[in-house]
Amino acid sequence: MSGKNAKIGNAGTIDPARLHRALNPRTVAVVGDKGPNYNWITNLKEFTGKVFSVQLDEKEIPGILERGVPNFRSLVEIPEDIDLVICAVPRQVTPFIMKDAVAKGVGGISMFTSGFAETGEEIGVKLQQMIYDTCAENGMPLVGPNCMGIYNRRLGVKFTGAQEQGEGGEVGIVSQSGTHGIAMTIGSQRLGVKVTRAISIGNAVVLNEADYLEYMLNDPDVRVISMYLEGVRNGRKFFEVLKKATRQKPVIIWRGGRSRAGARAVRSHTGSLASDDAIWSALVKQAGAISVDTLEDAIDTIAALVLAPATPKRNLALVAMTGGQSVAITDQFERAGFEVPELSKKSYDILGEFFVTIGGSYRNPFDASSTIGRETDNLAKILEVLANERAIDGGVAFELGSRGFEDGSERMDQMLDLLRKYRDTTGLPVVALMPDGGVMGGDAEILVRARGYVSKAGFPVYPSFQRGAAALGRAAAYWTWRKEVGARPRAVKK
Amino acid sequence: MADVIASARAAGRTLLTEVESKELLHGAGIPVTRAKLAKKAKQAEEIAEEIGYPVVLKIVSPDIAHKSDVGGVAVGIDSAKALRKAFKEMMDRVQAAAPGAHIEGISVQQMATPGTEVIVGATTDPQFGPVMMFGLGGVFVEVLKDVAFRVVPLEPRDARQMVREIRGFPILEGVRGGPAADLGALESLILRVSDFMSQHPEIAELDLNPVFAYPNGALAVDARVVLTEAAS
Repeated sequence: MSGKNAKIGNAGTIDPARLHRALNPRTVAVVGDKGPNYNWITNLKEFTGKVFSVQLDEKEIPGILERGVPNFRSLVEIPEDIDLVICAVPRQVTPFIMKDAVAKGVGGISMFTSGFAETGEEIGVKLQQMIYDTCAENGMPLVGPNCMGIYNRRLGVKFTGAQEQGEGGEVGIVSQSGTHGIAMTIGSQRLGVKVTRAISIGNAVVLNEADYLEYMLNDPDVRVISMYLEGVRNGRKFFEVLKKATRQKPVIIWRGGRSRAGARAVRSHTGSLASDDAIWSALVKQAGAISVDTLEDAIDTIAALVLAPATPKRNLALVAMTGGQSVAITDQFERAGFEVPELSKKSYDILGEFFVTIGGSYRNPFDASSTIGRETDNLAKILEVLANERAIDGGVAFELGSRGFEDGSERMDQMLDLLRKYRDTTGLPVVALMPDGGVMGGDAEILVRARGYVSKAGFPVYPSFQRGAAALGRAAAYWTWRKEVGARPRAVKK
Repeated sequence: MADVIASARAAGRTLLTEVESKELLHGAGIPVTRAKLAKKAKQAEEIAEEIGYPVVLKIVSPDIAHKSDVGGVAVGIDSAKALRKAFKEMMDRVQAAAPGAHIEGISVQQMATPGTEVIVGATTDPQFGPVMMFGLGGVFVEVLKDVAFRVVPLEPRDARQMVREIRGFPILEGVRGGPAADLGALESLILRVSDFMSQHPEIAELDLNPVFAYPNGALAVDARVVLTEAAS
């Protein structure tokens, strides 16, 4: 990491190199983990570095040792440098742990402990102030408190077992809620997207939203950033960093709840209309971020941004399997701002030679089941026509059924190979639409398996036309904005 | 401009008068109708000469919220003679209608040709600091709340989008034979207010309501500036 010391929170400075060390640890000390499950130690099962434990409670120590983790009576007794402390002690013990962490010179702290300012209790507020003061004085990066902490895919630092460990990574997640942070991570993984890192930020006392966003912006292993936020601690800095970030990477913002800032006396007309919602949506639009309202929208958009090539173009070919679906798919994509143009005479001439027009159509949208239902060669011909068709500059949305999938994946593989070839030769998006209940959908359980199969093959998969259209629409709107502000879409490696 | 703020602070006020507000905004290069305070008729005549006839007279009193209810507004005054008469009559009328009200004087203002009414405002968001608002005036803002916001500082593209984002935008483009508004002038006014807010953290809120949008240019005809509570 480069750059001068960033001002962190409201005072004090934290060295970016030290923050980087804490978020990419080689050694982790878990303080205060408890049985029967020893969750924090268990979460580190796939950690590529070394784990140490600090626990005074004699009843808990055998369970820790059984898990092959050496235990010490204090942080300062650990014989190695500690990059990250995961602190899970009761709140009244935190002052002692903070003191030891400073004395030990640890890289940083992830504080799971809760019961601070969020309770509104005087003791909680006081303890939170103590944490802030200690960190500000010592330049100590601290995640939380009252949070699930950090997930690092490559190093296998996790806050839930379902988070994957492995190479690579595409998405960075910042979440004010631990639950939503987990859900965005798992949901992305399920669609075949690798989450590089996730940070559950809790009370964000020392490091706040803007600091994490800046870190993700500078992380070369993060191509897309997704945030769940309820409010921000440093609005001005957040706005500045967000404007910078969106010029380099897509930033998705899912905002929940209402700001904690109380009502204020307002004496202007403008003030009376400036609701929290109005200002947030203005800010997101102004900064070029992507606004979503639900978890599904966030994950759908992540899939479109990561798994489909970047393009602001909006002229699509829509391929549905029946007449009714060809109308429905067109409605949804047009609603999301896409065009479904007529093709050239030359294309129609070629299509006319083989396309089954009894119970089918190739005008765009395509009603194609009678043409490609039995003959994969015909799909190859259609995609070749589309690849050479100048009217189509935004790619293909393809309805994919799971009929026949229970008997083996051979036919599915052939279709996916052809779709992949189209995508890679044209550099245009291909989205797979696998809706519930369609005549091509088949058995529900098979459909779910088929969706997973297509996801693994590297295509963005959506369970309804509406969700696919909305997600691809958000991605296209982002790439349009990037083009308008003069930053070129980065070539997406695939 | 520091004087206006300092004197309001000294008087313990956070709400500036219309005359003070306009002086401040005029100094910042924001197009507002000129308005000056006259204590006496003679002074009013001098101001009117400077601004140019026709002029509008408005009573200036911290105790009077609705000027027209007490006969405190007179429009279309086109000569020195008419001005002297109107000045005296307004003083008499207001004193009769609102006995005991402290009257600072009468403001003499440039009379603007009517145009399409829009509102340009700014306020301070607790999380994000100064923000700006744009909308069409009258029922569009009052009832439909058809307004667009942006966070200060605005870039030219923000001002451009803000004006086009409201549902009532076609009205500014000209409907039913009405003239199109000078969108460039509106955008430039918005950007000047954005600069003004950036440079003056001591200003908490601001309404320019209405601003008249013309085929050529734009002009704020009423202005209200509110300072922050704490002196800064």
